[in-house]
Amino acid sequence: MPHLDAAYNLARWLTRSPTEADDIVQDAMLRAFGAFDSFRGGDVKPWLLTIVRNCHRTALSQRRRRNFVPLPETEENGPEALISADDPELLAIGADNARKLGHAIAQLPHEYREVLVLREMEDMPYRDIASVTAVPIGTVMSRLARARAALKERWLNDVEGVCSELP
Amino acid sequence: MNCPESRRIQTYLDGETVDIDATEQHLASCRDCAELRDQLLGLRAGIHAEADYYRADAVLRGRISAALDREDHKRLSFGMFSRQFWAGTAGGALATVCAGLLAAFLFLPPLSDQLTDDVLTAHLRSLMPGHLVDVASGNHHTVKPWFAGRTDVSPPVAEFTREGYTLIGGRTDIVDGRRAAVTIYRHGAHIINVFAWPADDKRLPSVVSRNGYHLVFWKSGNVAFCAASDTALDELLALTRLLNAMATPDSRE
Repeated sequence: MPHLDAAYNLARWLTRSPTEADDIVQDAMLRAFGAFDSFRGGDVKPWLLTIVRNCHRTALSQRRRRNFVPLPETEENGPEALISADDPELLAIGADNARKLGHAIAQLPHEYREVLVLREMEDMPYRDIASVTAVPIGTVMSRLARARAALKERWLNDVEGVCSELP
Repeated sequence: MNCPESRRIQTYLDGETVDIDATEQHLASCRDCAELRDQLLGLRAGIHAEADYYRADAVLRGRISAALDREDHKRLSFGMFSRQFWAGTAGGALATVCAGLLAAFLFLPPLSDQLTDDVLTAHLRSLMPGHLVDVASGNHHTVKPWFAGRTDVSPPVAEFTREGYTLIGGRTDIVDGRRAAVTIYRHGAHIINVFAWPADDKRLPSVVSRNGYHLVFWKSGNVAFCAASDTALDELLALTRLLNAMATPDSRE
């Protein structure tokens, strides 16, 4: 099953939970298997990752219906506002993703996290990222730029923080 | 970061810039943009070093294979899969290409399941009392000619007594709807059935392990083979290597 790792990596970064990622990837593989009709040739990877992302969104909206969680409103704020430290879900990741940059990525809102993961970890072109995330290429570019600006801020600050502790 | 050109740096680093030369010229003259480039490259290196790339573990793979198997059997029993598949084939090249691509990339194990089932069932049945051999002989001069007229292939048959695989006879069986020649060997306390039938375009699985039995598939010329046994996998593979080293068999078609 090629692309299963890519599917799992995306699911894991979207859900930030190993058990939820397992469920979403299994669901996605079954849907992919049943969806011969929706596959119109071309590259399998973006097609499969689109299904993974849709499964995640479905799971998320089902959970929201049961237990309302407000959507983050980040588009109008500055880059550093993309990362907030008081997300209770993040306490769970702390244990196995203690490294700073990974932690910072996990804190990005979904729509920024997904474009970043697809670009930096899957090395996908803008066109494919746009098709997976169902937004125009311009939006992919601006989300990438904002995600990177937020991470850069965090990352540079950490480096400086370490340096200032030196004698 | 006030340079109006700074937006180009990201597309340049993402390999999406058409005008690479112009961007590089600009980078050589603009300190702000050069700094941004260095920061973004540093960030990229940091992500590769510090952010995990999560891989699906064996448990999840097993879970998904099992779920796909169940799904596959459901479909086969309702005839949905074959109807869709054949309708697609008739409908045009596109659907065929799609199904083929999917088979190649995603669904290879479920598609070859029928074949695996065939061979495993035949192997299990052969182990029931009285079903193992049609012609009992430890001599390949007896077993090989016996296949003529009874099966569609003439597979290599030999005594590998020195290597620990004792020829005990031959049998006919049905695999993939074809008359298969089965050569039976004994290895220690284990029975090994080597099935041979005329190959078609169907892809073969390579090694399948199920219920404690190993099935090793391979193709030689226009003959498809499967060695089935509950012996250790490496000992089964050793026999397939011995058989492969013999002359290419002929299909009688």
